[in-house]
Order: sequence, then structure tokens, then C-alpha cells
Amino acid sequence: MPLRLSEGWFAFALVLPALLGIFVVVLFPLAYSLWLSFTDVNLLRATGPAIELFGVRVPLFRWVGLQNYARIFDDPLYWSSLWRTLYFVGAFVLEATLMGLGMALVLNERFAGRPLMRSLLLIPWSLSRVVVGLLWVGILDFEFGALNGLLHNWGLIDRSIAFFKEGFTALNVLVSVYMWNQAPFATLLFLAGMQSVPEDLYSAAEVDGAGYWQRFRFVTLPALRPILFLVLVLATVNGFLMLDLIYVLTMGGPANETTTISWLGFQTAFAFFKFGPGTAILYTLTALCLLVTIVYQRLILGRFEPER
Amino acid sequence: MTTRRAFLGTAGLLGASAVLADGRWGLARADKPVNLSGWVFKPDTVKDYIDFYNNKHHGQVKYEAIPWAQYHPTMETRALAGEIVDVMYCNHNNRERWYENGLLRPVDDLPGVDELKKKMTPANLDSLKSKDGTKLLGLPYFTSLFILIYNEPMLQQAGIKAPAKSWDELVEHCMKLKKDKVSETPFLPNWNNSPSGTMPQFMSDCFSEGANVFDAKNRVIVDQEPGVAKAMERWQKVYKADLVNPEVLTKTSSTDTHRLFWSGRYAYHTNHSYYLKTIAAEPENSKLAPKKAKMVMYPGTGQSYMWTDSYVVNAKSKNLEDAWKLTRFLGGNLNGDWYVQRQWCLISGLDNPYPEMYDHPEIIASYDKWIDLKLLREQYKKGKVISAYKEPWYGEYDTKAVAIVHNMIRGTTAVPKGLKELVALQKSLV
Repeated sequence: MPLRLSEGWFAFALVLPALLGIFVVVLFPLAYSLWLSFTDVNLLRATGPAIELFGVRVPLFRWVGLQNYARIFDDPLYWSSLWRTLYFVGAFVLEATLMGLGMALVLNERFAGRPLMRSLLLIPWSLSRVVVGLLWVGILDFEFGALNGLLHNWGLIDRSIAFFKEGFTALNVLVSVYMWNQAPFATLLFLAGMQSVPEDLYSAAEVDGAGYWQRFRFVTLPALRPILFLVLVLATVNGFLMLDLIYVLTMGGPANETTTISWLGFQTAFAFFKFGPGTAILYTLTALCLLVTIVYQRLILGRFEPER
Repeated sequence: MTTRRAFLGTAGLLGASAVLADGRWGLARADKPVNLSGWVFKPDTVKDYIDFYNNKHHGQVKYEAIPWAQYHPTMETRALAGEIVDVMYCNHNNRERWYENGLLRPVDDLPGVDELKKKMTPANLDSLKSKDGTKLLGLPYFTSLFILIYNEPMLQQAGIKAPAKSWDELVEHCMKLKKDKVSETPFLPNWNNSPSGTMPQFMSDCFSEGANVFDAKNRVIVDQEPGVAKAMERWQKVYKADLVNPEVLTKTSSTDTHRLFWSGRYAYHTNHSYYLKTIAAEPENSKLAPKKAKMVMYPGTGQSYMWTDSYVVNAKSKNLEDAWKLTRFLGGNLNGDWYVQRQWCLISGLDNPYPEMYDHPEIIASYDKWIDLKLLREQYKKGKVISAYKEPWYGEYDTKAVAIVHNMIRGTTAVPKGLKELVALQKSLV
């Protein structure tokens, strides 16, 4: 007797391979790393219980409960890194969003060379962040930086500026460099949003006597609300996770003054081989990202009614 | 799996045949491939000598290079997954950890090792041993120490006839060079933020002041050593007087730091010995080549920090015989030939702990192009090793201590307070 599946089961069978893929690539690593944050991990001594998954032995290590979290919350370096991370994310999100929006407004206007400008815009975003870091070392370095050279040649400075000498300055340099790298993507999203606003709305606003800024405030901005949500969420998550520029530009220094949570988690896991506390540190970051996303959702999309 | 008894039996037979037949135990091609993993440093050079080995010694070595930053965690993850890499690079900080956790095996019982031990400098031999001093954990990849380098044309331009012999004199020279506007920042210490920067430099300068950093039980004792405070006060002084490039604190490697010296804008530089090769022998890169930059004996007691990185054999290797043969080729003198050790000396100025290497005419001629070899060998006699890096807390201490030392340098923490913080840091990690 031929096997007959209901429509629902048939659909499930069709998506099952994709679901399996998602489980192996996304859900399992996520759950496993969360588990690790509650254990004492020694990669070279994987004693303790283990599970078999597709024929692979996956060690579960020794359960220590909340000990890793207690230890990191007890570390003053964690808290100083957290405040620094919040500053970094706040400054980066603000800069990237405003710069992205500003560039999108310019590129939405009609002028000669606009297609070329739109293409050039994507270059910073398409570069690897290691390359971005090295590029900006070449620009900002105290010894051989192009910016110091230019300022010196123009007679504006006698002595080179050390952009990475003070921690707070170095942190702001990191914000700006990351903004340079990421703002084009925000521009792209905003630009796509602006293109989808019906021209009729602008025409109607013009008839009503609205000027440029009024059209921007009452037509463009409300239409961009879902895009703004997307830009803010992406910028926030990217800001929290940013690691590679720190690796290339400061390694968390001078002292620990550019150490963020992501750098601290990376160091703890991969330099000190403390994978339990390392993953615990990084999961606090995940929790923060989720929290901020919920806040954005409530603030921006809460009153947004999509067209039906 | 090869048992020790079976291996020794085979090795004994092969050793006897080697004695009788002039090292013919390698004539037959190895049955199984041997895996070699190392961090990325001149991988083409490594490939060349692996090809040489495969051809001349009939090996089947598969080599893989892994970026430095991920190297040790990657090797541990692979071990966790059950992968066996027969021969591995291992830096000094991770050697004891790999031994205690069963990733590497000691090599004391393998054929020919006693001869190599006798040829090795005692200090390097000690640093390659386990914490209890009973086991040899690998053979040397290279050894290095901190040296003091000076820019001869700059000193001459300022009318300084001889390089500084003491730290006070060095500071005096730098003050003069700055005052005379010969150099904006004449001193370039290796205060970078990586594990090869600030802390090895810290230990070097402490040793040169006759101070100890660790006691016999590997406890940090810097708050009890007047020489340490003296070194830190000098660092504060040179930083405050703007004698140092302030961005050296955020340089991410010793390589990046030494490249600054290529510009010829600095008078003095302290860094790993091998960096003088690119500074003084690569005119395509450095303005101080050929041989405009020179080394001078480290000031004070002349002692500086020395370390030894290594090749180690996997404890679970199923091909121990061939793995050991490859290890001897890499870190010793397989069949009496120091091929790999010599290559590193010639190509990169990477030193090794076998003094007899430095009598080789090819080495003498090569070093003569960039350094005073006799002086370098004298400096090596003053090289000081520590055993604290064999402690499980050392890696974390070594990284976290950088911020405390940087705060002392910048004067944001007073020296006595900073030294107490270093002691407290170590205690908190034990």
C-alpha cells in the first residue's frame, strides 16, 4: 500500500533537510556554546559526560553552574569593559546611522556623477576589516601616518599627533574607523527605503506647501521607520561584536582602555584557554544585543502598521 | 598503537644498523605520512626544507601552517576532535600545559636525544624541560633574547662617539638627541601590546638591573626588588620626557615595532635579537642597512630575557619512529647535519641553542653581514631564562600584567603601587 502523507507532513518533509541544516549549523552550536558557559572546559582533558551526535563524540565537560558568570561579574575588568562597550556601541550606532542617512539623502538627489558616487560608496564596506585597520594605521600613525604628514606640510602642526596615545581618543578613533567601514551599508539600506517612497506623497506635500525639511520629516522619515529599525539593529549587533579592528589597531590598549567585552571574551577563551568564562562573557553580550533589539522594536516598530 | 617497548626494540635495531651502515635507517621510504603543523612564519622556507627532507630522508611529511593567533587553540581543538598531528610547533608558554594534559610526549627515551642534550646550552635545555626538571619536552625551534640596537649614523651626527654602556647614559644620549632636534623620539623600547612585547621587555630590563621578577617558587616578587622599581622609574622618565613614540604601547606585534626602526628616526631600540637582521641587512626595507644599525651589550648586568620555542611530538602519534626522525631533522642534527637549524640562522637570523653551529663558516659569513657574531654570542651567555611560564596561570598573568605596566609607564599608576598590583594579580590567578 503506497505511503500517503497529509499535506502538512508533506510540506514538513520538504523543509526537513533545511531544518536539519539549520540545526547543525546554527541551533546546535548555539546551544552547545551556551552549555559551555556553565562548564569547566579543558579541551585537552575532555573528561566527564559526552553525547554522540552523527557518530561524533561531543564532550559536555564538568558542570559548574553559574560559577563562570559569578567569576566574570566579580572582575572589575569585565565592568570597565562593559561600560566601554556601551559607549562604543552608542557612539558607533549614532555616527553610522546619521552618516548613513545623510549620505543616502545626498545620493537620492539627482546630480551629475550620481551612479559613480553610489558605486564608490560601497568600497569601504566591501573591504575586509583587517585591511580597513591597516589602511587607517597608514593614515593615522604617529610615525608615518599620511594625516600627520599632510597637517605638518600645511603648517598646521609642529609635532605629530598620537591618535592612539590616550585610551579615550583611541576608542573614538575605533568608533570612527568602524563607522567609515559600516556607514555605506546603512546608506544602501536607507537609499533602498527612499526609492520605495511613492513620488505622489512628495508631490502632495509640495502642493500643501511643505519645504525640503518638512517633506523629510513628515514623508521620508515615517516611510523609513522599518529601515531605520533594521539599520539600528544591525549597527548595534555589529558594534557589540566588533573585534577585528581592535585586534589590528590597539589589541585593547593602551593599558585596557580600548578593551571591549568582545575583546575580553576573545582573550579569555583563546589566549587564556578559559573557554567556560570566555563563552560566559560573550553570552552576556548576546543578552545585551537581544535586550537592545527588543527596546528598538518597541520604540520604532511598536506604532508602525504595515500596509495590508 | 606503538608501545614504548616495541618502539625501543625497533629503534634499537635501527640504531645498530645506523651505526653499522652510516645512518641508513632512513633509506626505506616511511610507511605512513607524518603530519607537521606550525604557526605561520616563512611557510615557503618550511616547505623547502620539508621537500628536502622528503627527498633526502625518504619521508612523507605533510606540512600545514596555521596563523599564529589561532595556532595553539586550533591544535587543542583538533586534539579534542581526536586528530593526531605527529609533530607540532609549541611555544614556551604552552609546552608544560600540553605535557600535563597529555598532548605531547617527553623525548628523553628516544634515540640520539642524549647527544643533543649534551650539545645544547644548559639554560636552553632547562627551559625545554618540564616544570619538575625531569623530562625533555621537545627539541628547539629557535631561541632568542633581547638585545640593544643603536643607530650609528644618528649618534655620529649628534657627536656621540660611542653607544651607551649604561641606562643612564642611554637616557642622557636620548635627551641630547631630542634637545638638538636630531630625533623627535630617539628611544624605541619594545613596549607593544602583544605577548612578545611589553612583558619580555619588562623582564629584560629588570634582569639588567640585577633584579628578579620571580622567586624560586615562581611567585612574583617585583615589589621586593629595588632594581625593578629603578627600571620602571626610568621607563616613566623617558615616556614623560617624550623620548619614546607614545603609540608603541598600541603596536600589535614586535614585528611592527621593529619596523619603526627601519625609518632611521630612532637612536636606540630594544627587541628580539633576530630583528637586527632585517634592520641591518635589508636595504630594500631599512634605511639602516647595510650595518648602520649595530648591537651593543645590554646595559647594567648585561642580562636579558631569553626563551626557547620548540618542536614537540604528539603523545598519541601512531608513527613515533618517523615523527621522531622528523623532529630530529627539524630541531637537531639528523645524521649529523644541522640543516634546518642552519637554514633559520641564514635566512632569518633565528638563533638556536647549539653553540657548535656558530663555528660553521657559512653561519659566520652570513652573520657578519648584519651583526657582530662574537658580541651576540657573549650576549647569549648572559641570557636569562625563567621557569614561571611553566605555571598554568602564566599566560593570563603575562597578558593582564601588560595593562599594569603600561599604567606605570604613563604615570597613571605610581611605581610602588603598580608593582604591588603585579604581585596581587599573580596571587589572584594561582
